[in-house]
Amino acid sequence: MLKKNLVLIGLLTVTVFLFAAPAPAQKVRGVTDTEIIIGQTGPQTGPAAAWGSVARGSGLFFKGLNDEGGIHGRKIKYFLRDDSYQPAKTKAIANEFVDQIGIFGVVGCVGSGPGMAVRDYYTENKVLMVSFGCSGVTNWIQPFNKYIFPIYPLYIDEAYALTRYFFEQMKITKVAMFYQNDDYGKQGVEGVERYEKEKNLKLAASVSAEVTDRDLSSHALKLKNSGAEAVVMWAMPTHGALLVAECAKIGYKPQWGTSSTLSDATMMMQITKGLWAGMIHSNFGELPDSNHPLMVKYRAWHQKYEPNERWGTFYYAGITFAEPLVEGLRRAGRNLTPETFIKATETLRDWQGIGPPITFTPTDHQGGKHVFFGQVQPDGSMKKLTDWTRITK
Amino acid sequence: MFGQLIVSGLAVGACYALLAIAMVIIYKSSEVLNFAQGEMAMVSTFVTFSLLESYHVPFEWAVVLTFLFAILLGMFFELVFLRQAKDPTVIGLIIITLGFEMILMGFAGWKWGPDQRSFPFPVSNIEAYNFYGLIISKINFWTILITLVLMFILFLFFRYTKLGIAMRATQQNQLAARVMGIRTKWILSFTWAISSMVGAVAGMLIAALGVLDPPMMMDPLLKGFASGVLGGMTSLPGTAVGGAMLGIIENLFGGYVSLAFKSAVAFAIIVLMLCIRPSGLLAKHYVKKV
Repeated sequence: MLKKNLVLIGLLTVTVFLFAAPAPAQKVRGVTDTEIIIGQTGPQTGPAAAWGSVARGSGLFFKGLNDEGGIHGRKIKYFLRDDSYQPAKTKAIANEFVDQIGIFGVVGCVGSGPGMAVRDYYTENKVLMVSFGCSGVTNWIQPFNKYIFPIYPLYIDEAYALTRYFFEQMKITKVAMFYQNDDYGKQGVEGVERYEKEKNLKLAASVSAEVTDRDLSSHALKLKNSGAEAVVMWAMPTHGALLVAECAKIGYKPQWGTSSTLSDATMMMQITKGLWAGMIHSNFGELPDSNHPLMVKYRAWHQKYEPNERWGTFYYAGITFAEPLVEGLRRAGRNLTPETFIKATETLRDWQGIGPPITFTPTDHQGGKHVFFGQVQPDGSMKKLTDWTRITK
Repeated sequence: MFGQLIVSGLAVGACYALLAIAMVIIYKSSEVLNFAQGEMAMVSTFVTFSLLESYHVPFEWAVVLTFLFAILLGMFFELVFLRQAKDPTVIGLIIITLGFEMILMGFAGWKWGPDQRSFPFPVSNIEAYNFYGLIISKINFWTILITLVLMFILFLFFRYTKLGIAMRATQQNQLAARVMGIRTKWILSFTWAISSMVGAVAGMLIAALGVLDPPMMMDPLLKGFASGVLGGMTSLPGTAVGGAMLGIIENLFGGYVSLAFKSAVAFAIIVLMLCIRPSGLLAKHYVKKV
């Protein structure tokens, strides 16, 4: 009898506990009452470390934002991890982000290679990826992925638009191409060739270099011998500097053009000892000395929080990349889940911070479709050649 | 185009040769391949850069002070890291050099940051001499000249100075050298010091030809190694010839065959040489008889 009673009491207790406790609200990873956890990987060491400033720039932005009170009562808790631009490291960090830290989303994360290594893992775990990869390869929009919100201009369209600018505005018909032998460089070539094909033209020369190459003398000779009036380069800063110097040595002075990845004119002018002057390239954000009210505000934050960082293009690009994330969080409101964030962010229509006008729709997540062209002046400043121009349909 | 390819090949080959010589000096004395050679040269070049840019030291004094630094760095590495190794095997020592390479790379990233910089070299890297239509940029010309002079000085040093002869003796037979009264441990430190100094010259020239940043020596170091294998890892003149040949072969291959595979030529040469003539072009091939 006693045994029977005990069983009954036990069952009753369990039942009471099960039904009496209020059902806890569905816990969202990376979101608490007071915090939203965001991560970013970026090369702080190794050959690509110059691009590591992006992640630090995002950090400055979150710091300023938190001091202003955060978003809907929540502050951004930001985790920056160094992946040295090595996909294997990026993967390990992604595991840490999801399983140990528990992030809501990532922002930026420089690098197509590192990004590709973790894209599917983040997708499986419903990690939001805003401005992901900080690169204009098509890998972020093909196939369509509702968790990725890229804003970087597509390299193919950027190269196409640059070639069109040379052809239509500068009447240059003989163009050669210098590119880095990887996805980034090849998509640049694809854009230039697409335009040339439309106009029944042919590239005067197409010259590639490996990332590790440090001697570009024969590359320069090939370009010179092609007789091209303009050379479009889709390369990293070191190669950009080496190539213009090698060409200058042999007396070859074409009109140079390049992508927005080499738009840090101050640094490029310094390392080329002024040879970068005259370079025409696209830009994906306000110029460093812009009087745009947001730029004035961010420069003040820079002075206040991180005065030792150089106010370079890629440092404040970290802000450009984080702005749409914050806007999405604002629009999602207090009830923040990956789904509410996606829905809210997909309402952005030509929304603009210091970057290009951004539009996300439920079927199209390529947010940035505009660039403007500029030419580097002998004093290192940039002369705007066009306004924001739409380059992607 | 042919002449142009040869000239620029020679200039870059000269840098490979210097790095290879720096490696060979050590390899000959201890059979250790110094994988930190590139980073030691890079850090020394950054020291020159700091002296020039931050302390506005005149170039010639900056170079002298950098040489001093390079000597100390080489000796420091030998004394603090290598000599402390317990029952060292060659492989163990090589791994220590790899570790030191990583330490130096991390240090440079922390101290000078990752941004590329322009190295203030007194010779313009744009202006050129024109020899009957053959354009030799001033920097290429001076790179070749400096390398030749340095090689000549090294030749005189090893041939005629007491220290040089002692170093050669230690390289040939450490035990016999010690019996003859040579302080071989100190000689080993000197070897590292001289190698580090030669590397520093290569670093400065490579930075002047391109840009200065922490990873700048990665590619040249591998090419220097290939030059050593091509010319002979135990022969200083062989290494010099190997470097020059590699620079020229690479450039001709890039110019006439394929730019995409230009960098792979160096590694093809390593494989080819190891199959056909493992001791290299100018080194004598010894076979140990038992």
